[in-house]
Amino acid sequence: MILTGILLAVVGLGLIGWFVGRGRARLLYHGRGSMHSMPNYHGWHLALWIVVPALVVWAVWSGIQPGLVEGALLADPAAAALPDNAMHRSAIISQAYLLASDPGAAVFASEAQALAAPLRAIITRFSLIGALLVTIVAFTGSAYGFTRIRARFEARTQVERVVMGVLLLASLMAILTTFGIVASLVFEAGLFFKDVSPIAFLTGTHWSPGNAMGADIDENFGAVPLFWGTIYIGAIIAMAVAIPLGLMSAVYLTQYASRRVRKWLKPILEILAGIPTVVYGYFAALTVAPMIRDFAASMGANNPSTESALAAGLVMGVMIIPFVSSMADDALAAVPRAMSDGSLALGATRSETIKKVLLPAALPGIVAGVMLAISRAIGETMIVVMAAGAAANLSANPLDSMTTVTFQIVQLLTGDQEFNSPKTLSAFALGLILFIVTLVLNIIALRVVKRFREAYE
Amino acid sequence: MSNPTWHSPEARRRLAKRHASERRFKAMGLGAIVLSVAFLALLLVIMLKNGLGGLDWSFLSGADSTSPDIAGVWGAAKGSLLTMLVTLLIAFPMGVLAAIYLEEFAPKNKWVDIVEVSINNLAAVPSIIFGLLGLAVFINTLHLPRSSPMVGGLTLALMTMPVIVISGRNAIKAVPPSIREAAYGIGASKVQTTFHHVLPLALPGILTGTIIGMARALGETAPLLMIGMRAFVATPPGGVTDPSSVLPMQIFLWSDEIDKGFVQNTSAAIIVLLVFLLAMNGLAIYLRNKFEVRW
Repeated sequence: MILTGILLAVVGLGLIGWFVGRGRARLLYHGRGSMHSMPNYHGWHLALWIVVPALVVWAVWSGIQPGLVEGALLADPAAAALPDNAMHRSAIISQAYLLASDPGAAVFASEAQALAAPLRAIITRFSLIGALLVTIVAFTGSAYGFTRIRARFEARTQVERVVMGVLLLASLMAILTTFGIVASLVFEAGLFFKDVSPIAFLTGTHWSPGNAMGADIDENFGAVPLFWGTIYIGAIIAMAVAIPLGLMSAVYLTQYASRRVRKWLKPILEILAGIPTVVYGYFAALTVAPMIRDFAASMGANNPSTESALAAGLVMGVMIIPFVSSMADDALAAVPRAMSDGSLALGATRSETIKKVLLPAALPGIVAGVMLAISRAIGETMIVVMAAGAAANLSANPLDSMTTVTFQIVQLLTGDQEFNSPKTLSAFALGLILFIVTLVLNIIALRVVKRFREAYE
Repeated sequence: MSNPTWHSPEARRRLAKRHASERRFKAMGLGAIVLSVAFLALLLVIMLKNGLGGLDWSFLSGADSTSPDIAGVWGAAKGSLLTMLVTLLIAFPMGVLAAIYLEEFAPKNKWVDIVEVSINNLAAVPSIIFGLLGLAVFINTLHLPRSSPMVGGLTLALMTMPVIVISGRNAIKAVPPSIREAAYGIGASKVQTTFHHVLPLALPGILTGTIIGMARALGETAPLLMIGMRAFVATPPGGVTDPSSVLPMQIFLWSDEIDKGFVQNTSAAIIVLLVFLLAMNGLAIYLRNKFEVRW
């Protein structure tokens, strides 16, 4: 509480410092007429000198205070009555913390009641010391900053240096995130591969993590059915829908549609890309899947499943249409006008020009777009969670229930299980594979697009 | 000019055939678009038909419940609001500052290349991977409160930031060099030029990209499943550390219920979510049309 309060006080002090610094610099400005920096920069310089060192001290103190409090508490005579059993002891102490922050809290350990009062006193004492330290640093900083306000002082240069540092830090966030993803996936997957051999994981055909125990653990973590389901749904069924429809819409919109039609149709088509995947998943489960089941039943299939790879794949394909369409759109637009003009001038019809000249010329761009679309489809989660099913079948029948990598990650990590079991860790191994595959697809696709653009520029 | 072979019956037949194929091709293109739009229309019509009956004040103001008649969407909507607030507060400043650095200040070297490559890749990483990151880092390492808007917002912020950086860079790139040169010419420093002249001119473009990124984050479910935002929460969250649900998660949870009454609730919640998304995208288009300057 006290430490939060002092934080606000420091910010308030910084604000005052800004006005004081600016005012002081203005006075100087009036006296002399020429200064290196504008008064605002002197204000910022002073404010930074107040806030930044104080914040650093505040952060350090917040980090070390819990340890100091714990030490002081154990040294307190009231703590002498605590039992020796480490677990019991820490339970009582954590109850005491609860009581110290909220006297009305319900606790079950009676020893905690006795500890609460001294604990509160200790926390208050250390908080006050911390607050005092922060205040001293803030005032020292402000005194130093204030003495620097001179006509010749280059406040702007100093402030801009800080600004540059902040900009650099912000752009490093991207690397930090990438690093975080790789580190957490590799670390957890490493724990998993300690128990299960990577070869069995990548080549086994039996997946049932639920009953994976003891010696035959390798047998139950064969991920091939998941990879097959992912490829079958995301890269085969979905692409069979998305490539023809997306490509043909792009051709129509760029080559045939009038400007007005294009202006209306393109945003409507893009709404498809903006609909959340959970809505698609619900639609697939509620409408498309029963339709497909009835259709399969009428075709003579006995007892078809409600959850089918086809339902999930079809809906996923529709979701990807605008993506394929806009990638194809870009690829077609990058083909030089002279090529299609030449073909038309020779007497070819529009469709002949498109089929024989435009599409072959745009092919690398289109292929790259399809690769990006596949990488998006195999990472798609909600549609398969809601429509594809949990059974790990290795089948080529689109009416069968199939499962995917993303589905299994969700399945393995929701619900209550202890965190370090191989079952939970396998989700991270699956995540690592998914990350690597999508990364490779993206890198290749982006490289192809780049080379393709350069070829025509 | 009269070449007899052009008027021979055979040539006419061939020409007719080519024209027929031309018409077929054009019809196929139109058909592809009509099919896609028809699917969209079907989806919307079914959701409206199922859900409109459930949209009343008690649905809009209530929280989740085990009974479909009293279950409402406000608890989840408030969770979404808090989550988006956290996402915006982190992703927007970070994204804009990173875009400024990369576009205006970054030297051409290997490090900056790595930053660029990782931003482009992050924008294409499946959202569920961000969920795994959130689970491993925010929950298992930093022990932030599970199922809270804070963790959800942080996870979605990491996902949204690359989108904002990329759109921000494009907006900054579109500001013509003459603006910068004019500012340098009257003695402005590089930082002053960027923050006083380039950034305000690029802001509409940056905001458009931000809104689109936020709309995507609002509809996202998979990463939030990973960090446990699927708990049954019967009271709207009071702050960013309380357990809460979000709109798409509420849809997912209700879609799993067996009770028939939840079909109406699910569709009604979908309508609410789509209205939000449409409003955000509409705002983005409005901003783009109103403020975009063609140089």
